[in-house]
Order: sequence, then C-alpha cells, then structure tokens
Amino acid sequence: MKRTFPLILLMLFGVFGILPSFLPHPVIQGADEFVRNDLLRIITAFALVLGLGSLLRLHFEKIKRHAENWPYSWILVITFFITSIIGLFGGISGHGILPTRIGSFPFDIQTLYLRIEVPLGATMFALLAFFMASASYRAFRARSTEATLLLSAAFVVMIGILPLGDRISHRLPAFAQWIMDLPLVAGQRGIGFGIALGGLATELKIILGIERSWLGGGE
Amino acid sequence: MKFIERLTAIDRRIIYLLLALVTILPMLFPIAQKVRVMSPVEKCFNALDTIRADKALIIDFDYTPQDMPELEPMGLAMLRHAFTRRIKVLVLCLYVQPLGLAQAALDQIVPEFNNRAQSNADSIIYGRDYVFLGWQPPPLIPILGMGESITNVFKRDYYGNQTDTLFLMKTIKNYGNVELLISLSAGSIPLSWVAYAQNRFGVKIATGCTSVSAGDFYPYLQSGQFSGLIVGMKGAAEYEELLARKLNFQTRRKAGESLSSITFAHLTIMLFIIIGNIGFFMKRRKK
Amino acid sequence: MNLAHDPWIWIGALLTLAIFSFLYRDNPFYKTAEHIFVGVSNGYAVTFYWHNILVPVLFNPLFRGRLILIIPLIIGALYFTRFIPKVSWLVRIPIGITIGYYTGVSIPAGIEASIIKQVQGTILSPANFRAWHAGSWGILWSVILFIGVLCVVSYFYFSREHKGVLKVTSRIGIVFIMIGFGAAFGYTVMGRISLLIGRLQYLFGNWLGVIK
Repeated sequence: MKRTFPLILLMLFGVFGILPSFLPHPVIQGADEFVRNDLLRIITAFALVLGLGSLLRLHFEKIKRHAENWPYSWILVITFFITSIIGLFGGISGHGILPTRIGSFPFDIQTLYLRIEVPLGATMFALLAFFMASASYRAFRARSTEATLLLSAAFVVMIGILPLGDRISHRLPAFAQWIMDLPLVAGQRGIGFGIALGGLATELKIILGIERSWLGGGE
Repeated sequence: MKFIERLTAIDRRIIYLLLALVTILPMLFPIAQKVRVMSPVEKCFNALDTIRADKALIIDFDYTPQDMPELEPMGLAMLRHAFTRRIKVLVLCLYVQPLGLAQAALDQIVPEFNNRAQSNADSIIYGRDYVFLGWQPPPLIPILGMGESITNVFKRDYYGNQTDTLFLMKTIKNYGNVELLISLSAGSIPLSWVAYAQNRFGVKIATGCTSVSAGDFYPYLQSGQFSGLIVGMKGAAEYEELLARKLNFQTRRKAGESLSSITFAHLTIMLFIIIGNIGFFMKRRKK
Repeated sequence: MNLAHDPWIWIGALLTLAIFSFLYRDNPFYKTAEHIFVGVSNGYAVTFYWHNILVPVLFNPLFRGRLILIIPLIIGALYFTRFIPKVSWLVRIPIGITIGYYTGVSIPAGIEASIIKQVQGTILSPANFRAWHAGSWGILWSVILFIGVLCVVSYFYFSREHKGVLKVTSRIGIVFIMIGFGAAFGYTVMGRISLLIGRLQYLFGNWLGVIK
C-alpha cells in the first residue's frame, strides 16, 4: 500500500500526461489544464518551501553543533531572512507596507538582486575562465591521434569564429562554421539519438513501475 | 632539463595573472574589430525582421547572472530590433532568477526609445507595444498553456496588472497570434520549447544560447527546428552588426567591444596549451 | 579614473573582489560572499513564490470560493510529512504525481523532437540537400552527415565487439566525435572568457571608471 498506491498514482498521471497529445477532446484538455495550471503549480510551490526548510534546517543544525564554518551559516540565515522580509513586506516593485528606501538609498528586492546577487553569481562563474586556462595548460595533451584531432578542431574554431580568423584568411570563418554545421552536428546527433532512446526507455520503465528508485528507501 | 621542467610547471597564479592582463588591456586600449555575420545569426535576424504586423514576438528571458555577459547583449539587441520595427513583444521568464534581469533589460531599452520619441505613436507604451508577463512555474505550465490561452496562464503580469485588461492581450490570445518565439537560455529550455510548443502548436522557435550549449543546439538548427541560433558573445556581436547594417541602428555595441579581449584571451590559452604540449613531448623524448 | 559614487556599486565591487580572492586561496572573504549569495538568492525566490504563485494562484482563489484548490493544497502539504517518520511514505504521493505527469508528457514530445525530426534532418532528401544553400555541394555535405551520424551511432553499439565493418565505422565515428568535441571546446573557451570579461567590465567600467 505504502509503495503500491504511489506507483499506481504515477502510472495514472503518466498515462494521463500522454493523452492530450493524441486526444484533443475538451474533457481531456480541460482536465489537463486543471492538472497543469492548478495542481502542479501549487505542488511545485510547496516543493520550494520544502527545499528552503531543508536548507534552513541544515544550517541551524550546523550552528547548534558548532560544526566547521558554523559562523558562516549565521550569515546565510540572516541574509536570507532580511531579503525575504524586504521582498515579502516591501513588495516586488518596492511599494509594499515596508519602506524600501532611506533618502536616495534604495534597498528594495530588485536592488538587492541587481546589486548583490548579480555580482556574486556572475563572479562565481567568471572564476571558471581561470580554472579552464590552468586546466588547459596542465591537462590538454595531444597524446593520440584522436586528441590531436580534438585539439586541431578546437584551435580552428577558437581562431575562426573571431575577426582575427577573417584577417588570417577569408576562408577560415567559413571553415570554422562548416565544422560546427557538419562534424559537430553528426557527432552530437548520434549522441543525441542514444540519449533520446535511453531517456525514452527510462521514462517507460518509470511509468510502468519497473524503475522504482524514486520511491526511496523504507517501507 | 631545468627548462623543460619550468615549461610544464608554471605556477597557476602566473597563468591567472597573465589571463587577467590580456583580457583587461584590450579594454583599456580598444582595437576596432570588423564582425563577419554568419548564417545562423542572419537566420534569426531575418525571422524576427519578417514578423507580420498582426503577430507578436515572445522573448523568453532565461538567463541568470552567471550567463548575463553572453546573453544580455543578445536580449538588448533583440528588444531594440523589435521596437524599431514596431513588433509587439511579450516578455516572460520560465525561472525566478532571470526576472530581475528581464526587468533590467526592459528598463534600459524602453527609455532609450521614449527619450527620442516625439509623439505617443513613436513611444513604446506598456500594454500597447509590449507586456512583461512575468513568471509562472514550473516551466511546462506556460510552454503548454500558452497554446490555449496566454492570459489563462499569466492571469496577472509581472507588475500585478490583470493581463486580460491590457490592450495588447486583446489581440494576442495564444500561439496562433505569435509568429516567433526566441528563447535566451543557458540550459536546455530551448529544446523544451521545441518539444512542446513547436510540436503541438507549430510555433517557430529561435534561440540565443551560451557558447557552452552551442554543440547541443546545432543539430536542431540543421533540422530546421530552430529558425535561428545566436551563440555567445560573438553571436551577439553579429546581431549588433546586423542591427547597424540593416536598420542603421547606431548604439553602443557591448558585445562587439569585447571581441578584442576574447581574441587575445584565446591566443593566450592556445599558447598555454602549446607550451604545455612542448614540455610534455620534450619530457617524453627524454625518457 | 572616475570612481563610482553609488554605494551599491562599491558593495558589488567588494563582493566581486571577495569571490575573486578564491583564486589565491580559500579565505573568509570568499566564504562570507558565498553564503551571502545563497541567502539573498533564496530570499529572492521566496518573495516571488509568495507574490506570484501562492497568493494569486492558491490563497486568493481559495478564499474567494474556488474550493477545488483544497485538493492541490492538501497534496502539496504532504511534502512536509517527510519530517514525520511514521507517515513519511505520504511524500511519495506528490512526488509520484509530479514525476508521472512530467514523464508522460515528455514521451510523445521527446519522440517527435529528438528522434523523428532529427532522423528527418539526417536522411538523404532533396529538402535536406537544399537546406545547405550550397548548390550541388549540399548533396556531398548531406551524404557526409548521413555517414557521420551512422558511424557515431555504431561507435556506441557495445553489444558486439568492434571487429570488421563495425571497427571501421566506429573509428570513423570517433573522428566525427573528436572534431565535434574540439569545436565545442573552442566555443566553451569563448564562453568562459566572456564571463570574465563581463566582470572586468563592471570593475574597470562601473566601479573604477577607467573604461567607458
């Protein structure tokens, strides 16, 4: 019952998900709309609440146990609550019950996003440029014919796609584009077929109840 | 021997410093670069340019701060293009993080046009010329739901207005009134647009993607499922070039300005790879 | 040099430098900035989930009489049974509904978009020859693409030992894959550098005012 009932539900909703593609009957379409617009939307919102709850629980545990780097958990929790309060009570456009400006200094949710989250998020990924340069220097070796092919294609594309490539030879950008249009497409399409067929097999196994890892452990 | 060892053991911080220098210097001493437009970007430009007067364009802003440098210039260029041609625009996001960036893009472009406008007819008016629909999770909801009714999915827009009261939404009901949908995304969301929106409702899809995702999307461009493909900062620079060339739109080209930095950075990384390989082969020969 | 007057730009610049300090080594500034990022981004998400989803989609219609929404409310609330060991199995209900529906919807969509249309793009047809806009060269490119795709697929066929014809086709497949990966790497380099350029433009342009 504890495993069977959810499996039956999954199968029913799985089959129901397939139906609208083949049955444009108003009853099916109407039910599909309710499932999408109401049921799934609200369930997804609760999933976020659960995710947030788990995150906060993890960090409160770290603080309680004085685990490694526990003071930083305070920073996370405090910034989370400050941002949430500003957003919830200040409103999306900053016109809520909480004032979001002191003189000419704004601190509405959009400002916090653009001035704190954007620089932080963007910089975290900007670090990858350095790591990639270091990794290319240390690990990229033309040990075999295949690796040499890979390296050569990379060099052609790296130069060909830029204006420098056009200056070196008018044919280079076209050649780089040809590499993208033909060998790359052939390789990716072949891999894509494998992924699509594998994904299809997995989806069928999930709907038919053969694949049950999503149930988790326990009874 | 010492030289070979030095060659393969350059400290990573020196590599970081060199990379930072070759990227910063071209910004301080810019070199003008001539941009050659390739066919995937031209296809996207033409697809947008030929949107009929009674149809709309949907732009799905799905880039986060992490992808902003590559995708924001594309988004800005497309908004400029659409507003110049007086194409009706619907903007939406499929995730929460891009919302702020979508708003920032609109807040930048709309005043650009309105500052030059000499009458109401010239201006870009919210609700008449464009609507910011906002975000409704999960992604599948708007992708499938807009096939039946856009206002049913987005009952309120980003600013809280009821969408069925907006002038634009009285004529743009669903995908049947949309000629092109452009997805600006770092992930695989454009493939979801193709799989669900295009397959079921026949809407044309084009995409602007990060350079990392380019390989995944080229097969879909070749099969005709994408009407155009703009890849990374270079693609954005090509789109800016087309705006200037075909519509005589003169403005600061954010992506184009970065090409010299990219060029020198590429050359530096190629040099690192060559040095690393020289050291590797010399060591191997020694053994 | 034309330093920024906006305090928020200074805050953004200092946070940017805190993250960049990781390049030297892990340090308290980096850790602080990292935790601020997680806190602010989750607070941002909460704001929009409340104002855009929970209030207009659930609470307002429910309090105005659309009682059918009690069903999704109860099913969504079952997520919290995860924390009650005796009834934690109930969390499988919303998970099962979500996974079931998404899996079902993606089956016909995936077959059409990722298999059928991709096969149509590969087969040797006049439409595909013309799609290259390369005159009669289009026929050659289409043939090479067709052979390439078949050879790549043959490389991933591991149910038989790669001997004889299969060995030849899988070797050709490897060539296509390696060239493709090389091209993808080339683009990846551009992508990563672009992210760095974005940040440097912010520091040197918006903050220090050294570039326009």
